Amino acid sequence: MARLMAAPVGIAMQAVSKNFGAVQALVGIDIEVKAGEFLSLIGPSGCGKTTLLKCIAGLLPVDAGRIVIGSRSVSGPGGREASLVFQDFALLPWATARENAEFGLRLRGVPAAERAEAARRALAKVGLAGSFEQAYPAQLSGGMQQRVGLARALAVNPQVLLMDEPFASIDEQTRRILQDDLLRMWSEERKTVVLVTHSMEEAIYLSDRVVVLSPRPGKVHRVLDVPLPRPREARDVRASGEFARLVDELWQILKRMQ
Amino acid sequence: MIAAGMQEPAFGRSGFLAIAVLLVVWEILGRLQLSIFVPAATTVAEAWWRLAAAGTLTSAGASSLVSLAKGFALAAVLGIALGLAMGRFRTVRYLLDGWINAFMSAPLSALVPVLIALFGIRDTVVAATVFLFSLFVIIVNTMTGVRGTERSLVDMARSFGASEAALFARIYLPSALPAVMLGLRLGAVQAVKGMVVGEMLISLVGMGERLIYYGNTFLIPELYAVIVSVLLVAIVASTLVQMCERALVRWK
Repeated sequence: MARLMAAPVGIAMQAVSKNFGAVQALVGIDIEVKAGEFLSLIGPSGCGKTTLLKCIAGLLPVDAGRIVIGSRSVSGPGGREASLVFQDFALLPWATARENAEFGLRLRGVPAAERAEAARRALAKVGLAGSFEQAYPAQLSGGMQQRVGLARALAVNPQVLLMDEPFASIDEQTRRILQDDLLRMWSEERKTVVLVTHSMEEAIYLSDRVVVLSPRPGKVHRVLDVPLPRPREARDVRASGEFARLVDELWQILKRMQ
Repeated sequence: MIAAGMQEPAFGRSGFLAIAVLLVVWEILGRLQLSIFVPAATTVAEAWWRLAAAGTLTSAGASSLVSLAKGFALAAVLGIALGLAMGRFRTVRYLLDGWINAFMSAPLSALVPVLIALFGIRDTVVAATVFLFSLFVIIVNTMTGVRGTERSLVDMARSFGASEAALFARIYLPSALPAVMLGLRLGAVQAVKGMVVGEMLISLVGMGERLIYYGNTFLIPELYAVIVSVLLVAIVASTLVQMCERALVRWK
């Protein structure tokens, strides 16, 4: 069952609001993520983009409105449709790369043999086959740690990937390689991706659409379409004039918002 | 890549060097015959050997170690349980925090007369003193360990649908383990202190009683021999805990 590639599902955010005490973090967020779409959330710090991602994951309850993934209304964490990828990788330091990659399956009660197989496949998919499986996170570079984080998210075969600034703490060269690898995996697996980022280049390079959030309270400010041709990882999209123009357009939007 | 298991040895070269220097200085001071209260290291060693051969050290030591083991084992079990509960549940923390802090800073020896009243002049008092001396540092370290659990690890586990029990067993407990082991190590040293204090105050059993006896009868080399034995017990106890720590916490 786990081997079947699940068809991607969309995400509907309808009039979502979230408060922290008296502070309004998000107000009236309406975003429709299409099935199989790659969508980025960008905005100044404090705009609530990570909060919104946590709401989609069910880790934070919304105060008004609702979020629907596929046909299921989000009411708490643990939904099977979506997997999270974390900025700080969130790897168990006491577990090997393979045990980390297996962790989601273990929590869902998948038998040992089956989850070992799924973890091995997921690690191979992110380029960490072989001896790295037995390495502890402290023995791996940041880029490799995030590959393990990605493998853990993929091992449960989700329809949606929720990524919270996944490459923010990784050096520039490694980040570009990871971005290309992510695009390659995404084109093979057609998952719906919601990516929170503060990098304009990253948002343009990866996404079909970029949602710009404005701060305090977080609202949808603009939605930018990115009509760059795919597969972008195979061409020199970063060097194209169109790429530069879109990054600049995004920059103008963010600059005027300050 | 960092090699796994690269750690300083429990008792390294610098430790042995420090002890060697101390022994040499001690020997010289002793040979100068400054005072009967400063016997030479070799004189103390002779006394230690004499006491060991006569069985005095073994019988006193056995009584001490039994009390130490009883008191410390109870403190470890209760301390870890309370520390986990305090770390995880705010209500428990609010309820106990003030008490723990009070006991952490209070001179616990003052409680020994109360223990004597409770248990009578028996070795149970020593075990109880060991328990009291080591309990609080174990509680506090365990609690700190649980509270230091990375937020994102908890979020990660919850996002995969972890139950409260799974969170506890798979995230909070392993996260807290290094701090728990540190608490046990500090607790073991405190336990030895508690053992000696308890025995000296009831003056009936164990190495503490020997300390009082040799002190009062001016058998100074014998007194030092017992002090050295107590130090050895403290070092061995803390090293044993550290060895458990290495076996359990391999990922650091």
